[in-house]
Amino acid sequence: MLLQVDNLKTYLRAGKNIVKAVDGISFTIDKGEIFCLVGESGSGKSITALSVIQLIPKDICSHPDGRIAFRCGDPGGNGERETLDMLTLAEDKKREVCGARIAMIFQEPMTSLNPVFTVGDQIIEVLQIHWPEMDDAEARKRAIAALAQVQIPDPEVRIDEYPHRLSGGQRQRVMIAMAMACEPDLLIADEPTTALDVTVQAEILRLMKELQERKGMSILFITHDFGVVAKMADRVAVMRKGKIVESGSLEQVLHQPQHDYTKQLLAALPENLKRQRDLQLIDNPTLIAAAEKKIDESALVELKQLEVYFPIKKGLFRRTVDHVKAVDGVDLKIPKGQLLALVGESGCGKSTLGRAILRLIDSTAGTIAFNQQEITQLQRKAMIPFRRDMQIIFQDPMSSLNPRMTIVTTLIEPMAVHGIGESKEERIEIARQILARVQLDGDHLWRYPHEFSGGQRQRIGLARALVLNPKFIVCDEVTSALDVSVQAEVLQLLMELRAEKELTLLFITHDISVVEYVSDEMAVMHDGKIVERGPTADICRNPQREYTQNLLSAVPRLIL
Amino acid sequence: MTNSHKAESMVTESTQAGERQSEKAANRSYAAQVLREAFTQWGARFGLFWIALLATVAVFAPFLANSHPLLLSEGSVISSPMLQHLTMGDFVMLAVFITVVVLIFLNIRFYKKVLVLFATGSVTAIIAFMLVSPPQLTVYDQYRMKQAAGVYDWVVHAPIPYSPKDYIRDEGDTGLEAPLASEERTHWFGTEENGSDVLSRMIHASRIALGIGFVATGIAMLIGIIMGGLMGFFSGAVDMIGMRLMEIFEAVPTLFLLLTFVAFFERSLYVMMVIIGITSWPGYARFVRAEFLRLRQQEFVQAATACGLPLRSILFRHMLPNGIAPILVAASFGVASAILAEATLSFLGLGLVDDPSWGQMLNQAVQSSTFNWWMALFPGGAIFLTVFAYNLMGESLRDAIDPNLKKSAG
Repeated sequence: MLLQVDNLKTYLRAGKNIVKAVDGISFTIDKGEIFCLVGESGSGKSITALSVIQLIPKDICSHPDGRIAFRCGDPGGNGERETLDMLTLAEDKKREVCGARIAMIFQEPMTSLNPVFTVGDQIIEVLQIHWPEMDDAEARKRAIAALAQVQIPDPEVRIDEYPHRLSGGQRQRVMIAMAMACEPDLLIADEPTTALDVTVQAEILRLMKELQERKGMSILFITHDFGVVAKMADRVAVMRKGKIVESGSLEQVLHQPQHDYTKQLLAALPENLKRQRDLQLIDNPTLIAAAEKKIDESALVELKQLEVYFPIKKGLFRRTVDHVKAVDGVDLKIPKGQLLALVGESGCGKSTLGRAILRLIDSTAGTIAFNQQEITQLQRKAMIPFRRDMQIIFQDPMSSLNPRMTIVTTLIEPMAVHGIGESKEERIEIARQILARVQLDGDHLWRYPHEFSGGQRQRIGLARALVLNPKFIVCDEVTSALDVSVQAEVLQLLMELRAEKELTLLFITHDISVVEYVSDEMAVMHDGKIVERGPTADICRNPQREYTQNLLSAVPRLIL
Repeated sequence: MTNSHKAESMVTESTQAGERQSEKAANRSYAAQVLREAFTQWGARFGLFWIALLATVAVFAPFLANSHPLLLSEGSVISSPMLQHLTMGDFVMLAVFITVVVLIFLNIRFYKKVLVLFATGSVTAIIAFMLVSPPQLTVYDQYRMKQAAGVYDWVVHAPIPYSPKDYIRDEGDTGLEAPLASEERTHWFGTEENGSDVLSRMIHASRIALGIGFVATGIAMLIGIIMGGLMGFFSGAVDMIGMRLMEIFEAVPTLFLLLTFVAFFERSLYVMMVIIGITSWPGYARFVRAEFLRLRQQEFVQAATACGLPLRSILFRHMLPNGIAPILVAASFGVASAILAEATLSFLGLGLVDDPSWGQMLNQAVQSSTFNWWMALFPGGAIFLTVFAYNLMGESLRDAIDPNLKKSAG
């Protein structure tokens, strides 16, 4: 037994309120085991991790109850072990343990390294704090070894790089190297791959697993992604509202879930949604016919050799030295009534493409035709009639609504511009109906965006797109900021609306399992180009291009 | 992260109770809501109170401190020398002030209020210009002499019976006097070097302080918001040209320009306002530009564009309220620094020739061989309080305009 958490309670103070972030949880982690804490946002999983390593500021948190016993190995390696209670540990002792015996990796590799130090300096600092007797040359050697261990190419050279020169995946590797430098007994990984692309995520997960096996350390792995859980965990605990609702071996929890919440979560995974839908379709052949009939052959949106270049400017006179080719010659036809999924990793230009179609970003070359009319060069004013028919829903529910405006203002202003509804009262009534359609209360009209949860905000974004009764909607990563269960609801709502209003959708996402659930056709984008396009089922089953094959094989899947 | 999520969900719960209120609130205009929010804080209330007091005092200055009696009866003929000596400016100020007070309680749309205000202001100005002609020559001593001689049946004096330019020649060579030093006359705040009453001068000087602060900052903000907004939204060539223009204006030293103008042309308050205004807009423009550059990338702005909203709405309804917070804070400092600029000029002896101003009074505190504490304390205190009040208001306006901050504060 390496770590034993007993009835841990962590309460956070937010103003006058006390939030029971962690409310009496118990679990144990054995030596050499990967323990996954899985849950939706706000379930208290990160707070649990921070409590174990005692990183929450004392003035906002309290532990009314509980014990965290950590059996700490001696860094000298003479085999003596002592059991420490992390909650009552003295500050100096805590500093000795943290970093050396318990290390942590955070979610966001972009901000967890200090940008003004080289990566080597940051690793060496950790080493020398915990082993003060180590000299510089020795520390540097160990830092290089640590970088080599996490498979950074040319570690002797890269050790002197600053963090901004490294990619997201490499930074996360550096973080792991830093955490592993002192060979800790326990590594806490708080969503270490959530900010990374699937192919990079697959590599990082493989690396972590390999290191864990080689060093025999334990990992407390925190994630929201059941695919990742299936890949990594030995044992799993499912958290909800500060409590562990179910825990057990990977096999047990994923395949014979006992608790309703676990069942719900698993059922909400896009993979499972798809299976359910397929079953429904088999039961009911008319639905298949209906789905097929809707697709009209005439293209609603047609792109020809579309290019969007962003100039790179340098020097005193800001001369353009080069271009970032965000979209590099894309031909794309979206027939009326189709749901086309555009898949790609971050930076492949998929969002830029979506915005270029709506003329939110000017294209450098090529043509965009909407409903057989060319709109590439239209002026701002001339675009207005088209705006009514083409809408967009954004990824980030926090920034996609104007924080200074009530929902009603956000919804009725576009209607007034496009002459929908005769009077303000009539428009408010339409807005009320549309809110009801996206399953929100009419009373919500009078609130400000910050009063809503992420899922609700995403529904409002959907409502805003719908008020103008558009024909075509670009959905830009609409569910990637949401929890699985909320994601399932939003996706289902989107599918219903699509059928009801005969919408044509361009569904931009990085999540293959969502694609499989929602789309009829998919296009894979890489480096500004579309590398493969075809019916979703065909591509997923039998990808032709190497890039697509790599992408698909990297997706962590939960096979049930 | 989990932290903020929790806090947020609780905020949602607590706001559900106040649902009816927020429905009512939605029927009010945005500006009204913000003001209501801002002035629930005691700091802002103090600031507002001080500025309102100052504004009232400034408007009613002739009624409060005047050597001309408010009313007098001479041989059973009742007259009001005070009213006869009111200038066109006094009348316009009075009319505007009364309109503002009425409009605050009137429930009409904001832009209509502005229109009504402008209309009353200009109509009164025209009427006053045609009808009002105060006597060019004023002899302040006559009232005191006649009263002493017993010519009047009765006299009603202003609370402070001295005009700012009444040097009290009839009392002989008075000069600097500490507060309440003289037996015969009551000068609450003492007298300045020419012998006129300091309190009276301070009351009349508040007009200049308020006027220069508001007008100069208003000019600067107007130019700054328009220029900065266009630069931030369009970027590219517009931004390039705008930035160079800003750099040119920033290179002009305001104080030296003011000194030059004052030396070559007349010492006019309006010239000072305009000069301070057009040399200080780049600061606001920078703020607005930076905010707009940030906001332009925000998804709600893109969504507004995608909905086909007109440019005017995107710029001023969607972007400006989200980017106004730093400008308001800057503006409160701007008002303060405009007041200070005028005080500096007057302190250097290059302010208005004869009209009272706080800075000019401060100047007198150090000019003679002794330290005249009342000449430093009262005008200095007034400048301090005014600058402080603007800062307090700016800060709570900033809090009120940010709905996230406002909820957690409450």
